[in-house]
Amino acid sequence: MRHSFLDRYALLDSPLHILEPRSKLLAFTALIVCVLSIPTGQDLLFVAYFFATAILMGISQIPLSFILGRTLLILPFIMLASLAAPWRGFPGLAALFVRAVLCLVLLILLTNTTRFVELLRGLRRFGCPQVLVMNLSFLYRYFFVLTEEAMRMKQARDCRRVGRAPFFEELRILGSMLGTLLIRSFERAERMHGAMLSRGYCGEFPVISPRRFSWRDLAFLSVVTFFIVLTVFVR
Amino acid sequence: MHIPDGFLTNRIAVSLDVISGASILYAARRLKVDFAGRMVPIMGVLAAFVFAAQLLNFPILGGTSGHLIGGSLLAILLGPMAASLTMATVIIAQALFLQDGGLIALGANIFNIGTITCFSGYAVYKLLGGGKSGGKRLLIAGFLAGWVSLMISSACCALELGVSGAIPLRFGLTVMLGYHAIVGVFEGILTAGVLSLLFKVRPDLLKIDKLSRFGLPDWIGAIVLVAIPAYILVMAGSSSLPDPLQKLLATSTTSAEAGAASGTLSSAARYTDYIVRAAIFVLLIALGFLATHLARRKRGRP
Repeated sequence: MRHSFLDRYALLDSPLHILEPRSKLLAFTALIVCVLSIPTGQDLLFVAYFFATAILMGISQIPLSFILGRTLLILPFIMLASLAAPWRGFPGLAALFVRAVLCLVLLILLTNTTRFVELLRGLRRFGCPQVLVMNLSFLYRYFFVLTEEAMRMKQARDCRRVGRAPFFEELRILGSMLGTLLIRSFERAERMHGAMLSRGYCGEFPVISPRRFSWRDLAFLSVVTFFIVLTVFVR
Repeated sequence: MHIPDGFLTNRIAVSLDVISGASILYAARRLKVDFAGRMVPIMGVLAAFVFAAQLLNFPILGGTSGHLIGGSLLAILLGPMAASLTMATVIIAQALFLQDGGLIALGANIFNIGTITCFSGYAVYKLLGGGKSGGKRLLIAGFLAGWVSLMISSACCALELGVSGAIPLRFGLTVMLGYHAIVGVFEGILTAGVLSLLFKVRPDLLKIDKLSRFGLPDWIGAIVLVAIPAYILVMAGSSSLPDPLQKLLATSTTSAEAGAASGTLSSAARYTDYIVRAAIFVLLIALGFLATHLARRKRGRP
C-alpha cells in the first residue's frame, strides 16, 4: 500500500526548514493575525502581504502545485459565501477571499517547513498541556497503522461484493467495519501501553532535536517584525 | 464544517480561541492523567481512529460522500472530558496536516466540532439512559446522540459565521441545518451501529468512561462554559463598538497621521517613533523566549 507522509515536504532543507520551530510558530501566527486584521479597503496592504507570502513560498522550496492543490480546499466555503454575495457586495467578498487564501498559504508554509515532532516540541515549550502533545504525537505515529488497517478492510469489502449493495445494507456493513476498527484500535492501545511500560516510559518521549535558537532565527524574526511594523504603522 | 481563517471576525475568533484553550486546560487538569496509566495511549489511538475512520466513506447522492464524525461516539465511550480532548487533538491535527480549518479559527472549530458535539452527545445519551441496557434503547440513544450533537454543532457554526457577517444568519442556518439534518441521520445510524456491535462483542469497553468521572460540578461548569461564549457571541454581534484589534490599528495610524499633519513631528521623529516601536516588539518577543526558557529550566525538562 502506498503511503504519503502527512508532512511530506517537511524533510527538505531550505532556509525556512532549518529555523527553530518556536520562531516559525511565532512569526507565522503574527503574520496570519496581521492578514486577518487588514481592513477591507486597503488594497495596497493586501498586495504587500501577497508579496511577502510569495517570497516565503519561494524560499521554502515547496512545489507550487502542492500549495495550489491544498488551497482548493477553501472552495466550498467560498462558494457558500458567494451564494450570499448579494447581501455583502463584491469588495467585501473579494477581501474575504484574499484574506482566506493568504492565511491558508501561510499555514501550509508553516506546517510543511517544520517536522511534526519539532512542531510539537515547540508547542510544549510554549506551555501546551502535555496530554494534548502526547495525544498529537500518538496520532501522528499511529495514523498510518490505522489507515492501513482501514484500507485493508475496505479492500476486503470491495472484493467480497459485486457492484453496490442496497443503501441500508451498505450502512450496516460500514457500521460493523467501524466497530471492528474501533475494537482493534483499543486492543492496539492496550498492547502499546504494555510495550511502552516495559521500555521504561514515564510520561514523556525524549526528542533529539538538532535545532537551536541561532542568529538565523533572530534575523528571520527581526525581518518579519520589521515587515509587520512597517505595514501596521505606514498606511 | 471546518471554518477557514478569514471567515470569522477577529473578535469572535480570538474569544473562541481563549474559550477553547481554557476548556482544554480544564479538561487536561480535571482528567488528572496518570501518565503511567493506559488512558494516554487509548486517547491517542482513538484520535488516530477518528482520523482513519473518516477515510471509510459511503456515497450519499451524486458525487458527494459522507463519513463518521465521531464526537458523540467518543463521548459515549470515554466520557465527555477525555472525548473533547481527543476531538481537540483530531481538529488540531486536521488543521496542521490537511489545512482543514484555519489557525486562528482553530478555537472556533474545536468549540463547534469538539466540545459542543461531545458534551451534547453525552448529555443526550445519558438522558435517554443509553448506558443502562442494550437492545433498542441503546440504539435509539446512540442514534439521537449522534443526530442532535451534529445539529447543535452545525447551528453553532452557522451562528458564528452569521454573527461575523461572512454569511447572513438566516441563510447560513437554513443551509447548514438542512444539510446536517441529512448527514446527521447517517452519523446517528453509524454511532448506534458501532455501539450495538461493541455491546455484543466487548461490553467492557462501554464502561471505560468511569475513568473520567463527570459529576454535577462538571455539568455546571460545562453549562457555564457553553453559556458564556453564547453570551459573548450575541454581544459581539449586536455591539456597535469597533473590533478591538482594528481599533488599535486605527488609533495608531490616526495618531501618526495627526502628528504628521500638524507638523509637530518631523519625518526623522516619525522614524525614531517607528524604530522605538519596533524595538518594543523585538523586546517583547525576546522576553517571551526568555520566559519560556526559564520556565523550562525551572521544571528541569531536557
